[in-house]
Amino acid sequence: MKEQLLSIRKINKYFGRSHILKDVTLDIKDGEFITLLGPSGCGKTTILRCIAGLESIDSGDILLYGESIKDLAPNKRNVNTVFQNYALFPHLNVYDNIAYGPRIKKSMGEGEIKKSVAEMLELVQMQGYEKRMTHQLSGGQRQRIAIARALINKPDILLLDEPLGALDLKLRKYMQTELAHLQKQAETTFIYVTHDQEEALNMSDRIVVINEGVVQQVGTPSDIYNNSKNLFVAGFIGDRNIKEVKVLQKKGDFCSVKLGNSVIYIKPDRSLVDHDKCSEMEAAVLAVHMDKMKISYEEVPNSLYGQITFVHYAGSQIKTEVDVDGELLTVIEYQNDNDNYSIGDKVYVSWEETGVLLLPKEDTTGRREDEKD
Amino acid sequence: MKRIKQNLPALPILGYLLLLVGIPLLLVVILSFLTRDSLGNIIFEFTPDNYRKMFDPVYLRVFLNSFSLALFTGLITLLVGYPVAYFTAGLEQKRRSFVILLIMLPFWISSLLRTYGWTILLGKEGLINNVLMFFNIIDQPLNMMYKFGTVLTGTAYMLVPFMIISIYNSVDKLDRSLLEASYDLGGGKWKTFFNITLPLTTPGIARGFTLVFIPALGLYYISDLLGGGNTMFLGNLINNMATRGRNRPLASAFAVGMILLVLLVLFIYGRVTKSGKESLYQ
Repeated sequence: MKEQLLSIRKINKYFGRSHILKDVTLDIKDGEFITLLGPSGCGKTTILRCIAGLESIDSGDILLYGESIKDLAPNKRNVNTVFQNYALFPHLNVYDNIAYGPRIKKSMGEGEIKKSVAEMLELVQMQGYEKRMTHQLSGGQRQRIAIARALINKPDILLLDEPLGALDLKLRKYMQTELAHLQKQAETTFIYVTHDQEEALNMSDRIVVINEGVVQQVGTPSDIYNNSKNLFVAGFIGDRNIKEVKVLQKKGDFCSVKLGNSVIYIKPDRSLVDHDKCSEMEAAVLAVHMDKMKISYEEVPNSLYGQITFVHYAGSQIKTEVDVDGELLTVIEYQNDNDNYSIGDKVYVSWEETGVLLLPKEDTTGRREDEKD
Repeated sequence: MKRIKQNLPALPILGYLLLLVGIPLLLVVILSFLTRDSLGNIIFEFTPDNYRKMFDPVYLRVFLNSFSLALFTGLITLLVGYPVAYFTAGLEQKRRSFVILLIMLPFWISSLLRTYGWTILLGKEGLINNVLMFFNIIDQPLNMMYKFGTVLTGTAYMLVPFMIISIYNSVDKLDRSLLEASYDLGGGKWKTFFNITLPLTTPGIARGFTLVFIPALGLYYISDLLGGGNTMFLGNLINNMATRGRNRPLASAFAVGMILLVLLVLFIYGRVTKSGKESLYQ
């Protein structure tokens, strides 16, 4: 069983009058790759800075190996940060940048430092760059040096603040894989901050979804993706159709719900809504992954009848919008032979039995802000 | 042709500089190789005598005085100016603007008047002596006027804003995340200051030092008023020679000597901030 490494207990943080972190509680195990995911301004970077000691906390506690570190200065905490802009020292070359930590803490002799720097450069595959100045490096190279500079201190936790944000798409994808490998190789706990759900889903052992300073859900990528706990997570992760419905009645595992003027049966997929209470809820929210829906010209059981209003070809996928009694549903399908949809076609929309969530409408923590993602 | 057209707008300033700086400077250089009669009239006769005289120990002493005045002024303004600049840059926007206003405020008053102000403070019947006497801390007025230190105080006071503003600009541009990175990697406040802040603000220090050093070499009314002629500085010497001494050729030679000293400082400044390093740092 893996050891409990970091324990964040009900921390609160205010900047002036704004309440940035609200009772954030989180446990992180040794060796985990954990991602804090949320929209800009949700407080994820602040959590990271609180762990690093660069921000103080107003209440609560942070324990590392069971001991409180909340009153320790950043230089007394055995955690290191990879900053968003890398923050490499411009007046030092690559070697001196990486050697900065052990030198300033006098934790190694020059001989040992030389050996460690070489090891770190090998780890991030930057051998031979010792004498380069940082401005002579590309974005991806700077990032590797920033990671090496942090890891040489053998931190208990490496904190990464949107480190891929400044890189172009191709390099970003490549570095996602690299980082995940690096984390296993370095055997160090990574706490990674990002607003990019794809990054989070690709790299993490566990994801912490945060919105407005509140932890919304903690879980594995597939858990978060398939079994979103509330409206915010459902809207933020993956592409879903989110529609308000009226719950009519319950039949076995199924519920009948009314969307617009149409009635359909759904089988909520381990949703938070208690199945037995299904019929007691008047209004609820239906969340369906766009790529778990199908369009057909022939009538199929349990489907919605509507008219295509928009067709968009995006590489291997085709994205279609269907108007069902004034409710717009978006369907994403892989291109196939019968995909000659045209605007104005009357079609039937159905979905797989799984992958449907029925969420309570009254949602204190969830608020949709995700349209841009 | 195109280049000429592009640079056309620069012509007026070029003409201005040529007419009012270039030609007079050339005249000074020519004059420095001439000599004069007992009435001070210029005799057109080429001679390097003036420069030879400069190496007279009496005059070398004046060079040394001026050089050390400028050097110490630079050091004092640095020691006073750096902390002021550092803390000013760390203030929130409103307070920062206010502090900068306070730093610039003295420029609104004639520097000559402000120099007189120091005589009121430091004189035998001055404020400081009166206060100290009143509280019986001393029973004889201190003799604080007309010394090297008095001139140094006045000069440093006059030039310190240039140092503060230069360093302030450097500190202000300093990327705070570099300091955080240093803390994060295990550096305390002082280690971070000496390893990160100081090296990265060196261009500001060099700029400030140059801006202070050069005028300190030449300012002569401060040494006139506060030094009383007890210590001879280059500025006073040149002034005396050109006016009362009726020896403009010799004064010109000293002026050229001073310009060479300034060029030396600028050369060092260029080396310190070489190859646009500053823009990379900040």
